[in-house]
Amino acid sequence: MHTDKQVLVFIEMEADRIHPLAPESLEAGRQVAQGLHAELAAVIMGGAVSDAVRDVRHYGVERVYIVEHPLLETYHGEYFCQALSAACLTATPSVILMANTLTGLDLAPRLAWNLDAGLVTDCVAIEASDGEITFTKPIYSGNVMAVYAPVTMPMLITLRPRAFTPLSLSDAPQGEIVPVAVNLDQASVKTTVVERILEHGDGIRLETAERIVAGGRGIGKAEGFSLLKTMAETLGAAIGASRPPCDLGWVSAKAQVGQTGEIVAPGLYIAVGISGSTQHLAGMAGSKTIVAINKDPQANIFKVADYGVVGNYEDVIPVFTETLVEILT
Amino acid sequence: MHIIVCMKQVPDPEGPREAFEINQTSGLVEPRGIPPVLSLFDENALEMALRIKDVHPAGAMISVLSMGKRISNAVMLKALAAGADEIVKVEDEALDAGRLDSFATAHLLAAAIRKTPFDLIITGRQAADFNDGQVGIGLAHILDLPVITVAHAVTVQGRELRAERVLAHGYEVMCTPMPAVIMASNEVGELRYPSMIQRREAKQKPVHTWRLADIGLVTPPARRLARRRLFAPELRERRCRIFSGSIPADAGRNLALQLKEDRVI
Ligand SMILES: Cc1cc2nc3c(=O)[nH]c(=O)nc-3n(C[C@H](O)[C@H](O)[C@H](O)COP(=O)(O)OP(=O)(O)OC[C@H]3O[C@@H](n4cnc5c(N)ncnc54)[C@H](O)[C@@H]3O)c2cc1C
Ligand SMILES: Nc1ncnc2c1ncn2[C@@H]1O[C@H](COP(=O)(O)O)[C@@H](O)[C@H]1O
Repeated sequence: MHTDKQVLVFIEMEADRIHPLAPESLEAGRQVAQGLHAELAAVIMGGAVSDAVRDVRHYGVERVYIVEHPLLETYHGEYFCQALSAACLTATPSVILMANTLTGLDLAPRLAWNLDAGLVTDCVAIEASDGEITFTKPIYSGNVMAVYAPVTMPMLITLRPRAFTPLSLSDAPQGEIVPVAVNLDQASVKTTVVERILEHGDGIRLETAERIVAGGRGIGKAEGFSLLKTMAETLGAAIGASRPPCDLGWVSAKAQVGQTGEIVAPGLYIAVGISGSTQHLAGMAGSKTIVAINKDPQANIFKVADYGVVGNYEDVIPVFTETLVEILT
Repeated sequence: MHIIVCMKQVPDPEGPREAFEINQTSGLVEPRGIPPVLSLFDENALEMALRIKDVHPAGAMISVLSMGKRISNAVMLKALAAGADEIVKVEDEALDAGRLDSFATAHLLAAAIRKTPFDLIITGRQAADFNDGQVGIGLAHILDLPVITVAHAVTVQGRELRAERVLAHGYEVMCTPMPAVIMASNEVGELRYPSMIQRREAKQKPVHTWRLADIGLVTPPARRLARRRLFAPELRERRCRIFSGSIPADAGRNLALQLKEDRVI
């Protein structure tokens, strides 16, 4: 048993390893732990977690709680909430953090209601001063920031992807492994998964792509995206989009970048026919280099771009792509 | 089948930045010059309910539940025109959205929901003002109901509900008995566009107004979070180098060459 205060980071798994966003969550956890003079701990849940545990012990954690159970093999909100509640009972954390992924947005509110705890979702900054810790989140489409402090402990936080610099790996693995036992049974849940249909996307994965070519309403039609696809293939880039092309069915809904889509920060983001709404910027403003192609010189996207072309994309892109082929091969 | 769709009225989230004025004294955001609208994701929730009603028209009834300090009938008319059967407003001076957190909101909505029998509650994925994404699961917790989140499609067979829940790389089909709570995802798609006739008929549909006392509460329940302050975020603008050429094609070529020279590619 430990006596110190703990900060607990829930580590999502992806194909038996830690999720690509885990190092960001661990960095946020480290900041909270520092502010509260608490220890940093992680919790991993799944069918078999040993590979993920090995991963996470390189991030300077004091303890790794593990919950292993066949019913935790794939994510199910009710089982995961029961298992995480059990881990919290053992760890008695002051603050629990997790990434604001599709899993996080299901699990965090379940846990918050179950533990009767306050929850700040989509947190982008953490500050500690005078012994008080605060959590900042964007509200009103990112036009205003709100700063929250806990009223009761524990408190839950979900973290906006790309808001925290990933914690770097330490050489020596560390952290005591603490198994937590749970009793899960199928009779205890109200919902059942009948089947899972997984799409094996044909292109490069948006979330982890180093280059992204994104189209907006200005593309005008589904066929317009084929120009973008050729350009993306030349660059080895993934295809992204603002909301309208997704809603209109020009591209897959999974291509959406922004507040309600994927939050990305590639080395290169090329925005074509995208005006630059706050909701879209929330998803890509952290990109290293931003290129905008838009026919309106006043478009907001030029304010956040490093390079721009004012013009009709149908005139600009074919030659741009041709030149790319020339210089990249 | 009685479906309750929870819809919040919010200041137009696509309004310009200057429209969201911060009043430091009250600690609230005061929208300037932008109209109130139905929260975008709650329109997805209503669309989902309407699709269920399309398939099961007999005996299906869709109530829209909205809570707030002041709720505009003009805003709610959009929901009625699209096909909702009635509006229930829980309207009270004490119910300023800026002063309620998700915890309080879910308790208040649950108190209103308990007043009528229902089969299904549908919420949006998050309210487009505070973007909390907690109330749907909160309702399920308080009312002890099953909940399926980020669902993009549902079908009803007898007393069983089947929902397709969005995953990072696909979706899963989940089953649950009714009554239940569904949190609709934005992938449901846009709310249908009403016809002229529907718009006219909407004005005849019932709008009920309840006060806090009508749902058996005197003051809103306690908060779990303290909001310390609000501030306007810094805009991190970049210096944009614009490429041109006598013809647009030249600009495209010049851009590519520059990206190469700057080692961006
Ligand atoms: C709660 C909420 C959440 C949201 N979440 C997201 C989100 O996650 N992601 C997102 O993207 N949006 C989101 N939105 C929508 C957002 O507010 C904007 O409506 C949307 O981003 C606009 O997309 P756009 O820039 O493609 O379209 P528009 O704003 O219509 O811009 C189109 C642009 O294309 C240009 N154009 C037109 N024709 C051409 C041409 N031939 N060549 C070159 N340029 C051309 C125009 O000059 C214009 O700048 C959200 C909205 C709300 C209310
Ligand atoms: N004041 C409200 N009136 C009606 N429904 C609401 C209200 N607040 C939240 N909801 C519902 O709960 C969902 C999630 O809200 P939130 O957890 O606040 O982001 C919304 O999409 C609505 O469906």
